[in-house]
Amino acid sequence: MIDTALRHEFEAALGADAVLTDPLQLRTYECDGLTGFREVPALVLLPRTTEEVAAAVSLCAKAGLPFVARGAGTGLSGGAVPVAQGVVISLARMRQVVEFDPDDRRMVLQPGVTNAEISKIAAPEGLYYAPDPSSQVVCTIGGNVAENSGGAHCVKYGFTVHHVTALRVVLPDGSIVTFGGDAPESAGPDLRGLFIGSEGTLGIATEITVRLLRIPQAVRTLVADFSTVEAAGEAVSGIMASGIVPAAVEMLDSLAIEACEAAVNAGYSLDATAALVVELDGMEEECDEQFERVVALCREKGTTNIRIADDAAERARIWQGRKAAFAAVGRISPDYFVQDGVVPRTRLSEALGRIAEMSRTEGLRVANVFHAGDGNLHPLVLFDEQAGEAERAEELSGRIAEMCVELGGSLSGEHGIGLDKACSMPKMFGETDLAVMQQLRRSFDPAQLANPGKVLPTPRLCGEKPGRFRPHPLEAAGVIERW
Amino acid sequence: MTEESQALREDVPGGPENRPGPGSGSDGSPSRVRPTSLAETAAALETAAAEQQSLLFTGAGTALDWGAPVTRTDLVVETGGLDRLISHAAEDWTVGVEAGMPLARLQEQLAPAGQWLPVDAPTAKAGATLGGLLAGGDVGPRRLKYGGLSDLVIGATLVLADGTVVRTGGDVIKNVAGYDLAKLMAGSFGAFGMVARLNLRVHPLPESTTTLALAALDAGQALTAARAVMRSPLEPVAVEWDGERLLIRFHGTEDSTAARGRLGAELPELAGARVLDADEEEPAWEAHAAKIAGEEGDTVLRAATRPARLPALHAKLQELAEGSGVRAAIVSGIAQGLHTVVLRGGEAEGHAAALTAWRQAVHESDGSVTLRRRREGVDARAESWGPAPATTPLLRSLKQQFDPDDRCAPGRFAPWF
Ligand SMILES: Cc1cc2nc3c(=O)[nH]c(=O)nc-3n(C[C@H](O)[C@H](O)[C@H](O)COP(=O)(O)OP(=O)(O)OC[C@H]3O[C@@H](n4cnc5c(N)ncnc54)[C@H](O)[C@@H]3O)c2cc1C
Ligand SMILES: Cc1cc2nc3c(=O)[nH]c(=O)nc-3n(C[C@H](O)[C@H](O)[C@H](O)COP(=O)(O)OP(=O)(O)OC[C@H]3O[C@@H](n4cnc5c(N)ncnc54)[C@H](O)[C@@H]3O)c2cc1C
Repeated sequence: MIDTALRHEFEAALGADAVLTDPLQLRTYECDGLTGFREVPALVLLPRTTEEVAAAVSLCAKAGLPFVARGAGTGLSGGAVPVAQGVVISLARMRQVVEFDPDDRRMVLQPGVTNAEISKIAAPEGLYYAPDPSSQVVCTIGGNVAENSGGAHCVKYGFTVHHVTALRVVLPDGSIVTFGGDAPESAGPDLRGLFIGSEGTLGIATEITVRLLRIPQAVRTLVADFSTVEAAGEAVSGIMASGIVPAAVEMLDSLAIEACEAAVNAGYSLDATAALVVELDGMEEECDEQFERVVALCREKGTTNIRIADDAAERARIWQGRKAAFAAVGRISPDYFVQDGVVPRTRLSEALGRIAEMSRTEGLRVANVFHAGDGNLHPLVLFDEQAGEAERAEELSGRIAEMCVELGGSLSGEHGIGLDKACSMPKMFGETDLAVMQQLRRSFDPAQLANPGKVLPTPRLCGEKPGRFRPHPLEAAGVIERW
Repeated sequence: MTEESQALREDVPGGPENRPGPGSGSDGSPSRVRPTSLAETAAALETAAAEQQSLLFTGAGTALDWGAPVTRTDLVVETGGLDRLISHAAEDWTVGVEAGMPLARLQEQLAPAGQWLPVDAPTAKAGATLGGLLAGGDVGPRRLKYGGLSDLVIGATLVLADGTVVRTGGDVIKNVAGYDLAKLMAGSFGAFGMVARLNLRVHPLPESTTTLALAALDAGQALTAARAVMRSPLEPVAVEWDGERLLIRFHGTEDSTAARGRLGAELPELAGARVLDADEEEPAWEAHAAKIAGEEGDTVLRAATRPARLPALHAKLQELAEGSGVRAAIVSGIAQGLHTVVLRGGEAEGHAAALTAWRQAVHESDGSVTLRRRREGVDARAESWGPAPATTPLLRSLKQQFDPDDRCAPGRFAPWF
């Protein structure tokens, strides 16, 4: 409960205009991209500097108030959903580029800078920031750090963790520390790497140093259509086994193609069962040589049509279609859930087969558009809330993620665990693993104020929501107890 | 002590050096244990916990003295018996290994599938193990393109001080579920627990490699040339300066490496550069690795800074070395700002003085320094880790959670914790 005295303390520290209490305004912070979870916060704070974040967090620590950091709120796992009676610390006003050093290819950013802006600022110097989530025009670098976000080019370039060398962090007790440094190594354990992907549960990143790459000399992109998903999958395998490291290999199934075409008319073939987007980049000579091999491989695997982007505009169109896919699904269904799971790439066909089967059994359509090169699936479960399908859809979506784990994969490739999948964590990790993760969290946040209830299952969260919590088999059998 | 771990201690395979010692009682020499499975490892650590023994994990033992000296060792846990390849899913680009697997052997096992782990630690030849490489943070020149070992770890199994077995990460190349505990092991020098297994992402072997060499005595000149290469479309995998010449390595298809070498030599900032002959290339990189490793009696530091700081720090180093009566050489991953400094000759006093003063200079330019090997007598005269950073309370809190009795390599991070 936030009393007037405490509110005044926040106002004194951050300025009255940085403390939101109006219920209407508070409501705009009630959820993130996963709109099924909602909670109106007691207060929203809008700090401008690291010191103000530290002041805000210190006050929360003193008062024992839980707080949730928030970037653009595009997260898809409920990570930025407020905690009841808690505070939201929005980084939206921290949008400065602190430093750009083109010679050493570094940029230092406040957390509210958007992902796309980084590359835009770097472009005149021939540089760019590699991780490119489809939400890049909106999502923030702070949110990217918290989620260890990826994008379409992870197969070759990795994730956020591979491109951030240093972080200034306000710890949950309000102290300010630096993790990492100017170079990709620093003395002692890698706290930088530990923090990245911690989903706002270990502190708040207030300054982020990213490394920039040279814009590749050449980029080659194609779309190859296939008459079966299996054939497309084989083409992916063929490419990955050829010694080539493609920049991106994306797959869309017929339902996803239909949605994309309805939304942005990007020129995908409506009669294809599956389409692959393959992109290579690098030095011109090498890129061209390898691209020819990729084209030949697609032919060998029975592609029914190959569309090669002749220029940057055509390439942009192909990517526009791919990157608009989630929202596009809104064109063919009133509601949808985006799932994010990973399977070993060699089990893609099997996973897609099982999804199709589950979809048939449930009588709910599932569209697939995903990062095929690294086995990162994004099944979109389509449903109609009005028709009362929400719960079944959510359940199906959850089962798909857990099926990924059964196939030797992961609950999440890039969207994070958040609130959405915290209760599924026992599917992937044992009780001890989770207990040790909890220990790690406690080392950073003994009072458990930073984004509580996210990432790790809690009996309260997982017990209270019927249908979402599935006990560990050993637990069901009475062999173990939840800690 | 459980029966299993008792048996283990009495039946340690290998030469006499692997036999259990008389314990840390009578003559102070530690016992040794060499588990051959995860279960044995956990049992051994559980027993050690019951007996409050302090632990030193060791792989090939090539970097055991890096970091601050360990103040007490009752039990040496050797990972040499944990050296198996667990799985290699070539098509998925993943491999699972036990942590005692030497890097060099893993490369041999991956090669037939046309793959490798793109890590070229200077110590691979000496048998450095994957667990030791991760814990020691040792990374070679190719980090520029491929990242370090820690960047290639997709999952791990750890055994904590009390024998708890923990899994983190997964088996697939993309995964963000849960905290990445392997990062806590990276650069931990065994102070937070033992790495027992690693899942790694592997890469296709490059078709071809070539190296450009440019004589460059001056750090400023070397930096200018390195930046020109980084600005070019040539995408080098390594750019290293050893105080005398700049070595620039390229990987790619046959045709492309030839083109890269040729185009690189044509860059104006690289005037005078020469593509090494095929039979010169490997020896050049081996000689380079030897310079990084240093020799008996040397003091070796590893520094990380913004690349632009190199010329000033290099000049400072020479000045300090001269003043301290030692010779100083720097080997710099110049495009990344990772520098290895070797102090040689002179007395321990001189090593300690140069180390302390240069470290201060690096800290003043926002860099960090790790002390690797050192000349005898340096430890008594210089702190291994320098002033405690703002993260120290957090590191202590982590240590407290993971190793509450301070039994894993006690003293390793003195004076921080
Ligand atoms: C259409 C669409 C497409 C998407 N495509 C991709 C994709 O291709 N790849 C991908 O990886 N993701 C994708 N996402 C997911 C999402 O955009 C990313 O997770 C993104 O990084 C979230 O950034 P944000 O600024 O919106 O963070 P928010 O949603 O505001 O927050 C996300 C999490 O980060 C925490 N957080 C935010 N800022 C900070 C900070 N400064 N310090 C500490 N914690 C913080 C929050 O507490 C929360 O737990 C997509 C989302 C949408 C809606
Ligand atoms: C003579 C010599 C000199 C060298 N000097 C240099 C040098 O100056 N610069 C350089 O870059 N490289 C150097 N190296 C290479 C370096 O030693 C290795 O890169 C590597 O770090 C050591 O691997 P290892 O298996 O020998 O580890 P070890 O030396 O056995 O252990 C290294 C550290 O990791 C810990 N550790 C080992 N295994 C585990 C595990 N499974 N879990 C947790 N902790 C563990 C140990 O406690 C220790 O702190 C040198 C090698 C040799 C042979």
